[in-house]
Amino acid sequence: MNNEVFVFSGVSTPQLSNIEFKINKGEKVVLFGPSGAGKSSLLFLFNRLKDPTEGRIHYRDKPITDYHVASLRKQVGLVMQSHHLFPGTVYDNLQYGPSLFESWDEGQASELLEMVALPQTILHKNVNQLSGGEKQRISFARTLANRPDVLLLDEPTSALDERTTEEIEDLLKMLGKEKNLTMIMVTHDLSQAKRLGDRGMFMSEGKLLVDQPVEEIFTSPENETLKNFLNR
Amino acid sequence: MAPDISNYSLLFLIIFVLIPLSLSYRYQLGMNKDIVWSTIRGTAQLFFIGYLLNVLFDLRAIIGVPIMVGAMILIASLHARNKGQGLPYVFPAILIGLLLIEASVLALWLIFDMISFKPSEVIPMSGMVIGNSMVAMGLALERIKSEFKENNGRLLAALSLGASPRQAAQIIIQKTLRASLIPNVDGLKTIGLVQLPGMMTGMILGGIEPVMAIKYQLIISISIFSSVSLSAIFITLVVYRFFFNKQAQLVPIKEGQSQ
Ligand SMILES: Nc1ncnc2c1ncn2[C@@H]1O[C@H](COP(=O)(O)OP(=O)(O)OP(=O)(O)O)[C@@H](O)[C@H]1O
Ligand SMILES: [Mg+2]
Repeated sequence: MNNEVFVFSGVSTPQLSNIEFKINKGEKVVLFGPSGAGKSSLLFLFNRLKDPTEGRIHYRDKPITDYHVASLRKQVGLVMQSHHLFPGTVYDNLQYGPSLFESWDEGQASELLEMVALPQTILHKNVNQLSGGEKQRISFARTLANRPDVLLLDEPTSALDERTTEEIEDLLKMLGKEKNLTMIMVTHDLSQAKRLGDRGMFMSEGKLLVDQPVEEIFTSPENETLKNFLNR
Repeated sequence: MAPDISNYSLLFLIIFVLIPLSLSYRYQLGMNKDIVWSTIRGTAQLFFIGYLLNVLFDLRAIIGVPIMVGAMILIASLHARNKGQGLPYVFPAILIGLLLIEASVLALWLIFDMISFKPSEVIPMSGMVIGNSMVAMGLALERIKSEFKENNGRLLAALSLGASPRQAAQIIIQKTLRASLIPNVDGLKTIGLVQLPGMMTGMILGGIEPVMAIKYQLIISISIFSSVSLSAIFITLVVYRFFFNKQAQLVPIKEGQSQ
């Protein structure tokens, strides 16, 4: 049985050039690099918010284009860099995904809030009454509501304080371990990369320059651009 | 019979034009050329239409009505499509929308015997319906483009959660429709109180009894109200699709300068 979840071969877009890698089930990949490197653009390819102009992507054992788009996106959940909540209440946001697939059950709401360390009282608040950090966590919970197998995270803790960041990191570790979720996470926080990732990918100017185990990246970086980036 | 206005008195309308013109000059609005040009063009168009109508009204209805209504729809479509620059199929969408709306409104008028099939009745009434629908479609087009731009992130979020284009566009469709309908509903509320509608004013000045004028006005106001609503709904429901491709991805809309 094949363990590969994603295979990218020669993938290019206007923002990315010739990206190649394989990601196995349950792997935790951290993606980092300077602003404008193409990290967010790369994440968009995993759930087909964008398609490559060249190259091929396989998801599990089939070309990614063989899947029904909506069910692919349900399985491959994305937490975007900004929260982009829908107008309405927290509840409206949490049930959005599952309702599309008629799989929402009322009990899910409190479970989701607990996961992202928010009080139950927040459930019927309007989203524009929330703080930045609360919004970010609702956006995270909204993605988790679909119970994805693969989680794409674009700087999921950028708006959070230390304590909340820790709680979210604990949640990510738990999801990673207990549900064996595959994760691809963009972060600019290198110590977070060490804490959460087992594999590090460094990107610059649309190219994937480094793909090594996380510990090695910091002890023996194998690329000049990466060295400069780490020493900045 | 209607009191005639001499061409000589008409000349004094220039005074009314001089007011905005001097304002523009005084405050350097840079609109002098625009004001002068619009005034001349508007006047010429009206006289041209006046003479054209004289000719058409003498034609048999079955010939005069299709010619004039067709021309109005064509011109309205050409005008409104500028608001949809960067979107595909805007012109045919508007054209078909206007045709459908005009056809159904006209059918209702004739079936319920509100007006008779004469160029002198059908053409001015249709003109008002088509003109207002054209404006409504233009507004809806502009609105939907700006909503798509503004809500790019939310749309991506919705799609990434598994929404179909129709489901993802729901918020935008709602907002666009509401924005297009509110001024109409408001306009209908105060009709006759704040200002007498142009058509009624014209009829009363032309010597028609006020109650008669009101009946016509009622027909036209309600007809405009519903056709304007239909226009906005039609154009919104047709056009939102062009922001997505078959893979339920957002496609970038090329920036065109709105005219
Ligand atoms: N919608 C778009 N259309 C065209 N170019 C884009 C678009 N979005 C991003 N880009 C360009 O693509 C490149 C990569 O952008 P991307 O957002 O993927 O970078 P990033 O690595 O996520 O940066 P950051 O760390 O700032 O989020 C940038 O040069 C950016 O200007
Ligand atoms: Mg980014």
